[in-house]
Amino acid sequence: MSNQLPRFKSARESGYLLCIDCEKLHPLSLEGEHCDRCGARLHSRVPNSMNLSWASLIAAVLLFLPANLLPIMTFKSFGQGEPSTILSGIIHLLDQDMLLIGLIVLIASIVVPVLKIIAMTILLCTVQFRLQTNLRQKTLMFRIVEWIGRWSMLDVFVIGILVALVQLGNIAHIEGNDGATAFAVVVLLTMFSAIVFDTRLIWDNGVTDSPANDDQKDTQ
Amino acid sequence: MHGTPEQLIACHECDLLMERVSNHPNEDVICPRCHARIYYTTVNSIERLLALSIAGLILFIPANIFPILSLQVFGQSQSEIIFQSALSLFDGGLVLVALLILLFAIVVPLFQLVILFYISFSLHYHRTGRLLRQAMHGYQHLRGWGMLEIFLLGVLISIIKLKDIADLDIGLGLYSLAALIVVTTLSSVFFNPHQIWHEIDLNRQKARTNE
Repeated sequence: MSNQLPRFKSARESGYLLCIDCEKLHPLSLEGEHCDRCGARLHSRVPNSMNLSWASLIAAVLLFLPANLLPIMTFKSFGQGEPSTILSGIIHLLDQDMLLIGLIVLIASIVVPVLKIIAMTILLCTVQFRLQTNLRQKTLMFRIVEWIGRWSMLDVFVIGILVALVQLGNIAHIEGNDGATAFAVVVLLTMFSAIVFDTRLIWDNGVTDSPANDDQKDTQ
Repeated sequence: MHGTPEQLIACHECDLLMERVSNHPNEDVICPRCHARIYYTTVNSIERLLALSIAGLILFIPANIFPILSLQVFGQSQSEIIFQSALSLFDGGLVLVALLILLFAIVVPLFQLVILFYISFSLHYHRTGRLLRQAMHGYQHLRGWGMLEIFLLGVLISIIKLKDIADLDIGLGLYSLAALIVVTTLSSVFFNPHQIWHEIDLNRQKARTNE
């Protein structure tokens, strides 16, 4: 068990900073220097974290519209066929009673990006406007968002696989469209927004809650 | 605060400062405030990573040279390897998407395996790898960008989408890809950055005393 300190105190308040790359603890005075173990530049908090995170999030929101309105691919068979968007592709799957697959694509392509954008907005607002909320819930929310975000690349891979496979000239032919680029960039931007966000900022603004009674060490 | 920096540790997620404690191999030290896992012990981490990275590098070859799927319609057939899903988008003008697929499904996973092999080989045979720091930074920054398992799910969805229009055959590449995913997932489980940085520290100290 780690000894319970009288009151929760961050490393920065106590005059230390943690190297984010190798997790070695240094005195706060080394801010801006290089870590003697891993060589990374030392910062008590990720520099410009909020600005970069906001910027990529806003760019993702702006691109979300073209990503969903522009066609992502076109299926042509004997000269006939029409372009499909992300949503029309999902509706097509659900129409054909491919419920499970339709739901997977719906979750990966629409639900996850939307929830991720909402969650990042909540997190950034909490830090920006110093809102008093449940910080542990916020941290948990961030962990889920960070883990699940990459699965949105699913549709991009599906387009790549289908385009490569269905190249049978006049009989059947699939090609990719610009909506796919917009969508891929949305996913990329939301991932970047989460990566540059420094979770320690969530806890900096929070009131110091009383030490938890929870176990400090869990057994796996 | 009491103690020297060596006896203290801060949580990487919430910056809580606490005293370092010793833990048993199966116990994780959890942050009392945000419940992040601060450090833990992985038994035989280096040896496992060495074995897994070799297995991964071997599996990477069939996964990328054998077709993952082939399709037959009206006597015509078309098969594809992973690289072609990037190439055909590139030919179709979606350069950025092609590049992302190339990176996430081929380049990043390969880099991760090579880096992992380098780290575990150097530490296992106590070599003072000059690039160990860079390798560690590289591996940690690439975490999450290798998306083989998402690619595999994409293949499965493509199979279901196409199964009514055409005959599909699963190729050797897909089985190799599945095995490769098992290996890369296990290696990310056994990759314990805290412990490896400590090993690198010890390695360098040893090298210094030998000089």
